[in-house]
Amino acid sequence: MERELEAMLARSEQTRARLDRLHDVLTSGGHYGTGATPATVVYQENKLRLLRLLDESGQPRTGPAVLFVPAPVSRYFILDLLPDRSFAGHVAKAGFDVFIIDFGAPGEEDRFADLEYYVEGLLRRSVRKVSAITSQPAINIVGYCLGGTLSLLYTALHPSTVSRLVLLTTMIDADVKGGIAWVAHQMGLGGESYDNPRLVPAVEIKGWFEMLAPGSNSLIGRVNDLWERLDEPVDRLRDVRTMATWVDDVVPAPGRLLAELYQQFGPGRNRLMARTATVGARPIDCAAMTMPVLSVSAAKDLIAPADGVDAIRSLVPHAEVMRLPGGHVGIVAGRTALALWQRTVEFLTAP
Amino acid sequence: MAERDTEPTLVERWLQDQQQWQRTLFTYLDSMMKNDEFLMHMGNAMRGSLLAGKPYPSTPPQAAASPDDAATADRLDKVLFALHQLQGQMQDVLMTLDEIRAGAKTIGLKPDSARKPARATRTASGARKTGKRRTRP
Repeated sequence: MERELEAMLARSEQTRARLDRLHDVLTSGGHYGTGATPATVVYQENKLRLLRLLDESGQPRTGPAVLFVPAPVSRYFILDLLPDRSFAGHVAKAGFDVFIIDFGAPGEEDRFADLEYYVEGLLRRSVRKVSAITSQPAINIVGYCLGGTLSLLYTALHPSTVSRLVLLTTMIDADVKGGIAWVAHQMGLGGESYDNPRLVPAVEIKGWFEMLAPGSNSLIGRVNDLWERLDEPVDRLRDVRTMATWVDDVVPAPGRLLAELYQQFGPGRNRLMARTATVGARPIDCAAMTMPVLSVSAAKDLIAPADGVDAIRSLVPHAEVMRLPGGHVGIVAGRTALALWQRTVEFLTAP
Repeated sequence: MAERDTEPTLVERWLQDQQQWQRTLFTYLDSMMKNDEFLMHMGNAMRGSLLAGKPYPSTPPQAAASPDDAATADRLDKVLFALHQLQGQMQDVLMTLDEIRAGAKTIGLKPDSARKPARATRTASGARKTGKRRTRP
């Protein structure tokens, strides 16, 4: 009897301690919701902001320019997450003049935005602005996920403006099993309409990502995971909170863009691999890309399976292809992301 | 013997635990009343998320619009997006003008500019400025 009472008391103490830690986390300040590194806005267009990272004295750097291109369907600050865990910050400290695109949250009218608007409009003008500011006619580009797709398409169209290209977890071969588009295709989900597009709500975008891990991403799964995590120290929970504030803060997406991405690059279409992809009326010819290219995949990536990412070899034979342990987000911003950051700096500084 | 006397009994530990529970409860109630964001963050936590600064994403309420209102809104959105596209084109023009001005300064077309080694730049039209040095990507 006494042992049972002891066990109940221990359980009560553990539950209360978890609630106390949860309260500490929920009421503590901390960094979330924006990039961690001080930056200035150097260009704005529609919802897009082009940020230039500043050094410790508040001044821009003067090294070779690097433009980070995140996925338009998620917040940019995954690339600049925390003061001591920032991919963009790490590259900046290595001496580069770092810029990051914040695509912002599309409004209802932006449902008409298509691939050409993103690649030949927003991205092209951002590159042009970086070139103008830094007086460098060719700059380095680091594209992440769908941002990598946009970067690849842009570079194929404007190779002379890109000195080096880094693609992170960028899906190339959509016929490889796994990933969001493949799962949606298997489930028979109807694609978005190009002609009558809608602004796809953020909660629906989130649902697509959650489709990839149904157990852990159900309400019960999430609550249980959080409850179990509350045994961790408060400092660690604050880090988790910062990551959660990126994972759960998704943005809506232009239906026309998603429609075009699916029609061109979805399973069964795969026009990048077929070498019939276009942006607007312009064909994409990856053979025009002669600059150094680094492509990095994540071994445990559920969103962009590694084999689908590594297929870049067939489009750009001279590309350096690298596979790192970890998941889609972890290799960029997780606790083991330093390996990717260091390799990126080495690649960008190679002669 | 002295150490065993100072160790609380199971009943005493239960009482202490109950008092700690009261403190935890009052801490939560206090935050709920004084901290506007706390309720929102608690709501997120009850959905299993530590999302900070905004509510957990949920399905937006569908506005009950008549077909005429929906058609008008659609037309307005098309006009607004067209304006965004025009804004972009204007930015291209402005950047081109800036490049032309920068090129003019570099080759000393302006009388008060200091002479510097010319640096070739490409304009939007692809025309190359003349200069002593050409840069290549």
